[in-house]
Amino acid sequence: MAPATSPTGSDHTGSRRRPFWTMERRDALAGYLFIAPQLIGITIFVLIPLCLVFWFSLHEWNVLAARFTYTGAANYKALLSDPGLGEVFGATAIFSLGLVVLNMSLALLLAVLLSQKLTGITVFRTLFFSPVVVSLVAWTIVWSFLLQKNGGLNAILQVFGLEGSNWLRDPTTAMISVIVVQVFKNVGLNMILFLAALQGVPKELYEAARVDGVSPFKQFRRITVPLISPTILLTSIITIVGSLQVFAQIAVLTQGGPGMSTTVLVYYLYQQAFQFHRFGYGSTLSIVLFVIVAVLTFVQWQMRKRIVFYER
Amino acid sequence: MAPVKLANVRKSFGAVEIIQGVDVDIVDGEFLVLVGPSGCGKSTLLRMIAGLESISSGEIAIGDRVVNDLEPKFRDIAMVFQNYALYPHMTVERNMGFSLEHRGHSKSEIAERVQWAAQILDLAKLLDRYPRQLSGGQRQRVAMGRAIVRNPQVFLFDEPLSNLDAKLRVVMRAEIKSLHQRLGVTTVYVTHDQVEAMTMADRIVVMNGGKVEQIGTPLELYDRPANRFVAGFIGSPAMNFLPGTITRAGFEAGGVTLPLPGPIAERDGQDAVYGIRPEHLALDGEGLEAEVLLVEPMGSETQVTLRLAGQQMIAVFRERISARPGETIRLRPDVAAAHLFDAASGARLN
Ligand SMILES: Nc1ncnc2c1ncn2[C@@H]1O[C@H](COP(=O)(O)OP(=O)(O)OP(=O)(O)O)[C@@H](O)[C@H]1O
Ligand SMILES: [Mg+2]
Repeated sequence: MAPATSPTGSDHTGSRRRPFWTMERRDALAGYLFIAPQLIGITIFVLIPLCLVFWFSLHEWNVLAARFTYTGAANYKALLSDPGLGEVFGATAIFSLGLVVLNMSLALLLAVLLSQKLTGITVFRTLFFSPVVVSLVAWTIVWSFLLQKNGGLNAILQVFGLEGSNWLRDPTTAMISVIVVQVFKNVGLNMILFLAALQGVPKELYEAARVDGVSPFKQFRRITVPLISPTILLTSIITIVGSLQVFAQIAVLTQGGPGMSTTVLVYYLYQQAFQFHRFGYGSTLSIVLFVIVAVLTFVQWQMRKRIVFYER
Repeated sequence: MAPVKLANVRKSFGAVEIIQGVDVDIVDGEFLVLVGPSGCGKSTLLRMIAGLESISSGEIAIGDRVVNDLEPKFRDIAMVFQNYALYPHMTVERNMGFSLEHRGHSKSEIAERVQWAAQILDLAKLLDRYPRQLSGGQRQRVAMGRAIVRNPQVFLFDEPLSNLDAKLRVVMRAEIKSLHQRLGVTTVYVTHDQVEAMTMADRIVVMNGGKVEQIGTPLELYDRPANRFVAGFIGSPAMNFLPGTITRAGFEAGGVTLPLPGPIAERDGQDAVYGIRPEHLALDGEGLEAEVLLVEPMGSETQVTLRLAGQQMIAVFRERISARPGETIRLRPDVAAAHLFDAASGARLN
């Protein structure tokens, strides 16, 4: 099939006027049409509200008093002198850190256990994943009963002769209780992601390592972890961002108490805006939260070169 | 370097016996090739030697140690996998040194061994690359490098060349062979390619359906196959088979009579299969008539597909053939190189 030199060949090189709908333009149009739904959605539900929140944060806005006055950076200055904010950041950090560490390590442990080829293992996989699809509020309400002073957990402990505390009302146990309830709710999601990643590691690598004399623990550390590191990065971003947005659990379990011990940033924001009717200040806190999430995500993404040992 | 002894080795997966009693004595420093059709249990047997697969019954010994219940790392073997199994997140250097790291060698010792292996395998320039940055042949060499740095008693290869293109396969074949000649390490090499087996092996083990069909040097298998399976498996193009009956006059099949190799007195009337290799059919004006079906000139030789005694056969001639499809040529089989197999059992008769 020798390429024939056609007499009209020069038409394609542009000596004739090109039609408006060239191949590239048609491709580009198709491309824009494909991303249009997502783009419109993000604009309406993310970008516009974000701009509005920023605009509100420059105002003093009391819905009850129908006051909406421009105050410039006053809300941002108020942040610096807010006496509760330190405690709120502390609680947020403890909550997020505890949640991420507990969630990720438990998820990885479960994934490793459940990736064994044993009969009936899918039953366990389903079991651990099922809380993810349960209604968040229903899940949390059930746990709030279980964790009461005379609740189910303490009843079980009593059988063993132990006396449980009032888990959600005791300042020393409230935070850890909230974290654990949330980990149990969501650990299945990370577990499934880890499971998929583990199954993507070729089994010959483990066989080669066995022949090479590498112990199972070292195989995990030197082969498994590096090879699933892209998933570890992904799940850590999802989990951290998710942990910073926890609200319903706190509202149902502790309402931020006892004291301020479980008042994380989102809950504090909710209190300021909807309980104290300071919408302007609430908006300011939203912006702070947004910046924190954005910076954390950016930092993690930048760290991927050092965390992720291996990218396809 | 050590001998390897397999004694009545068996392996079952559930109720199915995959390896049905294998006995092989591998001599110290020997290059032994396991060959057989797909699914005959070659990989399983090799993995049993490696310790990656348990042994249902029988005994495997490396050197003077029975290794049945020994973990792979204590068997002092190195294995090269079909898809190389290189660690994708480590450089060539780390890949090769990884096993030494876990056997308590010092850093300088590891570097020295890796350099030595890289020298032999011509990898010195590639030490800083990752596996994904290498060509197929280079990956293959890294996999071999990983095996030789440990200086093991036994090398195990599982179809190491099957992912390479034909040309590279020939090159790597020679490289593996010369590596063996240089290091002299006992080697068990699995392949389903009989050309690879013929060219590389000191001895070949032909397997079929979990059993050993024959063990011997390449030329032993070629010249005196123990049964019809080995005769058909070794050699390319494959041996021609002609079913018929042994009589006092000769071998009668499809209305022709062929001269018999060897004495037949007690076998008069027995059903048998006559085997003749393509290169053992010669042009002869007095010979048997054969109809030409296809002529394939290859330069150095000519391959002719033809019908002889009602059976389709292939003949290979050193000389050039001008015959066309449909024409008749006359052929004479070389009696001295003919084979007779029992029709029922396939066992060799002459
Ligand atoms: N884990 C297993 N469970 C059950 N059957 C298996 C298992 N591994 C292998 N087999 C079976 O054992 C037989 C031999 O397999 P093996 O991999 O040893 O064949 P092979 O000779 O290496 O073939 P190939 O040339 O295709 O690699 C096959 O029929 C295969 O289906
Ligand atoms: Mg195989």
